[in-house]
Amino acid sequence: MTLTHGTLSTPLLTLLRQPDSFPNLTLPEQDLALRLLRRAGLLAWLFYRLQEGDSWQTLHPKVRDHLEGARVVAVEDERMLRWEVNRIRRALLGTGIPVTLLKGAAYCHAGLPMARGRLVADVDLLFVRDDLDQVEQALTEHGWKQVKLNSYDQNYYRQWMHELPPMRHWERLTEVDLHHTILPITGRLKPNPALLWQDRVPVVGESGVWTLSAVDMTLHAMVHLFHDADFDRGLRDLVDLDGLFRHFAKTEPTFWASLTPRARQLGLGRPLFHALTHLNSLMQTPIPQAVLIDSQKDGPIWPLRPLMGLLIPLAILPGHPERANLLRILAWWPLYLRSHWLKMPPTLLFSHLTHKLSRRWRPTVQNRRLV
Amino acid sequence: MKIGDHSLEQLDGQLREAGLCWRTGPFILRLKADIPQLTPWLHTMYGEHPVVTEPEIIDFHLQMRRGRGLRRWWRPQVHFLLDGNILFAPFPLDHAPPLFEWGLNLCIAGRANHFLLLHTAVVAKGGRAMLLSGVPGSGKSTLCAALVVKGWRLLSDEFSLVHPDNGMVYPLARPAALKNQSIDLIRNLTTENLIGPAFPNTRKGTVAHLKPPAASVQAHEQPAQPAWVICPQYRPDRPAHLTPLAPDHALLRLGANAFNYETRGASGFHAIAALVNRCSVHHFFHDNLEEAVVALESLSTRDIQPSPSETSS
Repeated sequence: MTLTHGTLSTPLLTLLRQPDSFPNLTLPEQDLALRLLRRAGLLAWLFYRLQEGDSWQTLHPKVRDHLEGARVVAVEDERMLRWEVNRIRRALLGTGIPVTLLKGAAYCHAGLPMARGRLVADVDLLFVRDDLDQVEQALTEHGWKQVKLNSYDQNYYRQWMHELPPMRHWERLTEVDLHHTILPITGRLKPNPALLWQDRVPVVGESGVWTLSAVDMTLHAMVHLFHDADFDRGLRDLVDLDGLFRHFAKTEPTFWASLTPRARQLGLGRPLFHALTHLNSLMQTPIPQAVLIDSQKDGPIWPLRPLMGLLIPLAILPGHPERANLLRILAWWPLYLRSHWLKMPPTLLFSHLTHKLSRRWRPTVQNRRLV
Repeated sequence: MKIGDHSLEQLDGQLREAGLCWRTGPFILRLKADIPQLTPWLHTMYGEHPVVTEPEIIDFHLQMRRGRGLRRWWRPQVHFLLDGNILFAPFPLDHAPPLFEWGLNLCIAGRANHFLLLHTAVVAKGGRAMLLSGVPGSGKSTLCAALVVKGWRLLSDEFSLVHPDNGMVYPLARPAALKNQSIDLIRNLTTENLIGPAFPNTRKGTVAHLKPPAASVQAHEQPAQPAWVICPQYRPDRPAHLTPLAPDHALLRLGANAFNYETRGASGFHAIAALVNRCSVHHFFHDNLEEAVVALESLSTRDIQPSPSETSS
């Protein structure tokens, strides 16, 4: 089977770049592709991309069933997301505190075409740090509760992170993350949240609801993948970014001109460099040559540059679902350590990792979503 | 070729190597397993199921794997994996068959969202389906098994796979799980040996499985038209008695117990509403399985609802 690692990853990338090429795969290849995409949360994404084309009726009935099942879940996710934002607005009614949507909630409310078929895990919101106590209080009064965490994790969030511990609604069991900035406060990169705040854009038809500007939204999407090392969702993030770039390149006349300067202003030149490099090579996202060249200045020095160029694709691209992939594990560890190195100063890092390691030795049950 | 046509050695070899592929209802699954105890159980319980030799698209890639390290030998355990992910906390090794059944249920409940998935047992006669809806402990599985032993066709003891476009229920004739006292109750209904080994001390007490009849398995491509919704309740000293139930009550009841009623949104509502409007809906107290079967038999012959699947065929 030729959909996975190294030189083998090409057919999967071809599929991500040109989803309408899916029917050209053999049926066993389609079967493996469905498994890889499902794991990445991209099955409904494929549904909408194939539905736009005219090949839907020619697909194997089982493929249609799987994609239709994924569509049903994605539609429900979007309905829940919109209702959740509605409920959060209601909880904050009268406080005068504006709601700024991040990530999936923002893509959806901004009406971006790439949001169609995107699965939703939680709602991410940005507030001014001084308002957070009041927001937490209001949500608590309206049925949200702190997700039960041990005292170490509580402290971890409140002292060092860019968000409060997640809150969950007692009845709907939906989760909301309350951010006050987009990266951990202990980290090396410290984008100034006041700058993000200044450039916010109102959501049409929903007073008091905002999203980040097109450029900031894109930069935020890339810090997760190229700074936080959240590689489990790597493929989905890659597809998100490709979608954001292609969309804003068409709809925002100043998008390319303002991208690099804004990234530098926020101190996010390095993640932008990694993102542009890998979107260009993996997804063939159309990026103006001048932007690519300019961004080179923010890249790391030799030998880090070729090393990262090697490790990042290895960690992002999935292996075969049933085979242990040594290369992937080898690539994952240094990137995991790097992300923590960037997240906190060395002394804190040491105590944090020893604490996490001591908790590792328990059976892991990956009761993740099946669809 | 059926699973039962293989020898135990052939089956064991396939399970260990490429994995065994077979069809159950609308689903094709592939199972890899290194559990010697599982092979004879599958050989009997899924004996009538057709083996798929050249699968094109597989719905569930499953694995049953023995615990590793110490757990391979000391109080050995077994894991259930879907697409390489462990879905449950491990079971003791000798509970591999119930783990397989529960694991597959979870896979279907989580993934088959192209169907409306109601949590009912389904049996059928002459192309017309009877849905048995009840909370755990109400005796729906037991009643389902009793009807099957008495000649009704088994569609499923756990799921109604309702197709949202045509309202038909699709069959999934897998082993029916019986718990605790139900096992002997069903065993006493028949002289045939239809019930597999009992597994004591599972999460749900003692569990044993009723082998799906060959005719039910062979009908895997024939959906049935829902005709009755029965809400059974075993109650000592309440002789078998059917009370008509308003369709709106049945709608709420089926919806509340469904696996994906909310996920399917408006189409879930419309599908259940159409179903209860078409069906004759009853609450059903009974205190004796044989009498319960007789009462439902006479209901099925009394009700003269026309069935499109019959008129068309």
